Amino acid sequence: MKRLSRPGEGEVLLLTANRLLDGRIVWLGEGERWRESIAEAKRFSYEEAGPALERALAAAAQKEVVAIYEVVAHDTQPPEPVTAREVIRAHGPSVHPDFSYDDALARTPAQEKERAQ
Amino acid sequence: MTQSNSHSVGHYQYEERDRAFLQERINEFEGQVRRRLAGELSEEEFKPFRLMNGVYLQLHAYMLRVAIPYGVLDSRQLHKLADVAAKYDRNYGHFTTRQNIQFNWIALQDMPAILRELAEVDMHAIQTSGNCIRNVTSDEFAGAAKDELMDPRIYAEIVRQWSTLHPEFTFLPRKFKIAISGSPEDRVAARFHDIGLLARPSEHGPLFRLFVGGGLGRTPVVGQELFDSVREEDLIATLEAVLRVYNAFGRRDNLYKARIKILVQTIGLEAFRKAVEEELSRMDCAAYRLTPEHVAQIRARFAVPDLQAPADAASLFEQHKQADPAFARWVASNTHPHHHDSYICAVISLKTPGAIPGDVTAEQMHGLADLSARYAFGEVRVTHLQNLVFGHVRKDQLYDVWQGLQKLDLAAPNVGLISDIVSCPGLDYCNLANARSLPLAQKLGARFGDAALQAEIGALSIHMSGCINACGHHHVGNIGLLGVDKRGAETYQILLGGDGGENAAIGGILGPSFAEDEAVEAVARIVEFYLAQRQKGESFAAMLKRCGLKAFKEVAYETV
Ligand code: HEM
Ligand code: SF4
Repeated sequence: MKRLSRPGEGEVLLLTANRLLDGRIVWLGEGERWRESIAEAKRFSYEEAGPALERALAAAAQKEVVAIYEVVAHDTQPPEPVTAREVIRAHGPSVHPDFSYDDALARTPAQEKERAQ
Repeated sequence: MTQSNSHSVGHYQYEERDRAFLQERINEFEGQVRRRLAGELSEEEFKPFRLMNGVYLQLHAYMLRVAIPYGVLDSRQLHKLADVAAKYDRNYGHFTTRQNIQFNWIALQDMPAILRELAEVDMHAIQTSGNCIRNVTSDEFAGAAKDELMDPRIYAEIVRQWSTLHPEFTFLPRKFKIAISGSPEDRVAARFHDIGLLARPSEHGPLFRLFVGGGLGRTPVVGQELFDSVREEDLIATLEAVLRVYNAFGRRDNLYKARIKILVQTIGLEAFRKAVEEELSRMDCAAYRLTPEHVAQIRARFAVPDLQAPADAASLFEQHKQADPAFARWVASNTHPHHHDSYICAVISLKTPGAIPGDVTAEQMHGLADLSARYAFGEVRVTHLQNLVFGHVRKDQLYDVWQGLQKLDLAAPNVGLISDIVSCPGLDYCNLANARSLPLAQKLGARFGDAALQAEIGALSIHMSGCINACGHHHVGNIGLLGVDKRGAETYQILLGGDGGENAAIGGILGPSFAEDEAVEAVARIVEFYLAQRQKGESFAAMLKRCGLKAFKEVAYETV
């Protein structure tokens, strides 16, 4: 198994993936459910993240996600990724504010569906 | 075959067996998608299948890359691409430097339906990914330009037919890209392809200059001339021999050393040529002989536009230019002379300053398709610099075309000028990126967007890539920008002196990388320095040669 990134002082690990159906970026939340908003991501320590990643990988086929891996984030509210790449994954393409994910939390599943259409 | 205003001028007409083949491929892929969604195929098992059908998993979603063989579309196809953008994506598509179009937000389950819709207009995603011979690219002014020596599209089609699903070459050590031009000026970056072909006529029929081993990416290399005069009848045999040598000796153990350029560099051009010649002598060349009859057969499947114009077409055109200086400025940068005196080639810039290079909305696509149906024989070409071309426009109608383009917000008079920036999608979309490229391209485009300023600066190219894979060809920009990751932060290296054309050259790295805004300022200082110090008529490349990289370096890092 690959070595995990190690979070520094004031940082945590989050688990992320792409949803199989549409590639949408998702974050592992409470109850091992995949969420659309980084604000709902569960925070892991370095020690917790390894087993959680193993479990997520094992369940990937049923939970319908691909490309699961860990992301280092500042332990803020909501957590904010450390690297530019993960900031863009968390918030959407910077050149299209209209495609931003940041109101994902506020939307109901029905609105989300409508938006995707 | 002569046609005046049909859908089919400019590219090859499909036959029924081509269509049946596409349907078969889609049925197969539909089954694979179904099995993947049902959990019967794992991602590892499914990935090669989706890649074979042009489907990548990008940063935020699946991306579908659709092939536009040798860059030629008809208006029916462009309408269809617009429909796909509106129905399945977020209302836009992105034209690439490989004369393809990419959709960035497609759901996996929709892929088979999209491929079916595309097949209705003879389009597909075959040869857009994987270690095969990729979509063959060609000159955007093919069959139209005044300076053209030979129409390369017929040969591009012959190469396409030879390469599509060639049983030996579907699992090459790495992907393989071929470009063909028939003009005296290399308009396809022939020296930066695995194989670049420059066609010319002779007393004894067409001859091809063949370059091999060019490429950008991690190891940028200018292709070398393998043969200076391949005869038409030997064209396919020669390509076959080059590919066989590559397939046999190219490295498969190291992804970064697998392209043909590394093989040619490692064994040397002479040894490579010898291996190709030996292969040719062993091959059953008769089986690969390209006969004049076969060439004629392919040629007959290309409709030729019926170029007729009123006698005063050219003089009306002059009047339009005189009456409207904005039109005259656009004509100066965005047109190319046509072999027929009453016609002209029009380049549609997809680089409206401040906009995203290469992105076109569904409404713009519909509008362009309508304009082309009305004024350009229903034909649109995609250039390797991410612009579009109407190949045959009557001069007296160009003013109408330009007005139509203005309504679509696609009339930027900047082709070949500094804001005509080539850029890859970078970190905003791409899984492999180190840094974003689009915001920087937008900022530079806006910074130099003023039409008068651009005209004063003159020809100057900026190319940007978000990582070393070099999809934005940063090595061949007069000014190149490369995204570099510095401990998770985006920074940009500047390269100077690249050239993708006749005087092919790879840009030299200026020095340590800059933060985004610093990079914009550094480019601005470089351009100011060029304006202040250039001699009359001196190009950027010439001044760089005269003054040296060091002088530019001092300017670029002045206040940082
Ligand atoms: C966003 C999805 C994309 C991915 C994942 C991707 C990936 C890559 C990779 C890995 C390479 C290097 C391959 C090698 O050297 O063996 C490459 C090369 C290239 N890509 Fe892309 N690319 C993408 C989009 C684009 C776009 C949008 C363009 C056009 C604007 C483009 C044009 C090219 C070209 C021309 C090369 C060849 C450069 C060379 O000569 O080595 N790609 N791409
Ligand atoms: S150059 Fe790099 S960042 Fe840009 S599209 Fe290619 S792989 Fe992605």
